[in-house]
Amino acid sequence: MIRVLAIAALLLGVTPTAALAAEGGGGLINLDRSIVIQGINFLLLLLILGKLLYKPLLAKMEERTQAIRKSLEEAQAARAEAQREREEHAGKLQAAYAEAQAIRAAALKDAAEEQRRLVEGARAEAGRLVESARNEMAQEVTRARQALRQEVVDLALSAAERLIRKSLREEDHRRIVQDAIGRVDKVN
Amino acid sequence: MRSHERTARRYAKALHDVAHEAGAVEAIGQEMEQVAGISVGDAAAHDVLTRPWIKPADRRGVAMAIAQKVGARKLVQDFVGLVAERGRADHLPEIVAAYRTLVDAELGRTRAQVRTAVALTDGEKRELSGKLEHALGKRIILEEQVDATLLGGFIAQVGSLIFDGSLDGQLARMRQRLARG
Repeated sequence: MIRVLAIAALLLGVTPTAALAAEGGGGLINLDRSIVIQGINFLLLLLILGKLLYKPLLAKMEERTQAIRKSLEEAQAARAEAQREREEHAGKLQAAYAEAQAIRAAALKDAAEEQRRLVEGARAEAGRLVESARNEMAQEVTRARQALRQEVVDLALSAAERLIRKSLREEDHRRIVQDAIGRVDKVN
Repeated sequence: MRSHERTARRYAKALHDVAHEAGAVEAIGQEMEQVAGISVGDAAAHDVLTRPWIKPADRRGVAMAIAQKVGARKLVQDFVGLVAERGRADHLPEIVAAYRTLVDAELGRTRAQVRTAVALTDGEKRELSGKLEHALGKRIILEEQVDATLLGGFIAQVGSLIFDGSLDGQLARMRQRLARG
């Protein structure tokens, strides 16, 4: 590219200078035949420049444009990809968050259920213990009452037995035997 | 103990058969009771009759002499002699009991053991026997035993049937009722 520009600049500088030197005139541009030559030079120059400089330049520009467009498209695609990935990550993050929330909720629910179960179990156990203690106490009271009653009965009947043994006379024995014989009929 | 009883039953059955043939079932029973009473109650006689190192013939002689002394007939003498000779003299009380059971069954009667606080009068015995016979439908023989530990009244047992007419029984029932509340 740099070479093409150097050639164009050389041609632009050398060609008019050569025409003016050949004419030997004093002005910068003389309105005579040289103008035609200059015109032809100019056209030739334009043609050459168009051929050697402008088209490659355009091609280069086009190439650059394409490259830039491609870069832009790639950047666009990368951005879109990045966006997509970001969205995907955001989605995954969201899903993970939702999953974490679900796990947390499930764990909380399980913990609450476990707590409820433990509390209910403890309450039932406490109820059973209270009931058992109450029954045991009632049994103890019943036993104590029974023992007391038995003791009182034993004392009373022992005293009665001693009294009877001391006070029974022969006629009492005969009467008791007669009473007992009288009750033999009821054996059947 | 059970083999003791089985052996006693076998001897009693044999004696009963012989006594039946002789037609003196009751008398032989009474004589056997007397002999058994001496063999158990007299320590010297018991020792001689039950020691295994004393010759069987000597044991037989002693047993027959005891039977003869209480006036038992020849059949009873021979029987106790045989029992002693075979070393079964210690079975005599069981043999007598088994014999008594056989005789009682044969005569359709049963024995009532009566434990009483004071001895029953003859009238009371008759009355009690009559009542028991009427209640059980069997002839009853009373076997009375005075038990001073009883407060009053009596307890009669006929087989597995027990009639408690004692003050002790009444007090025990009262004790149960009061204890139950």
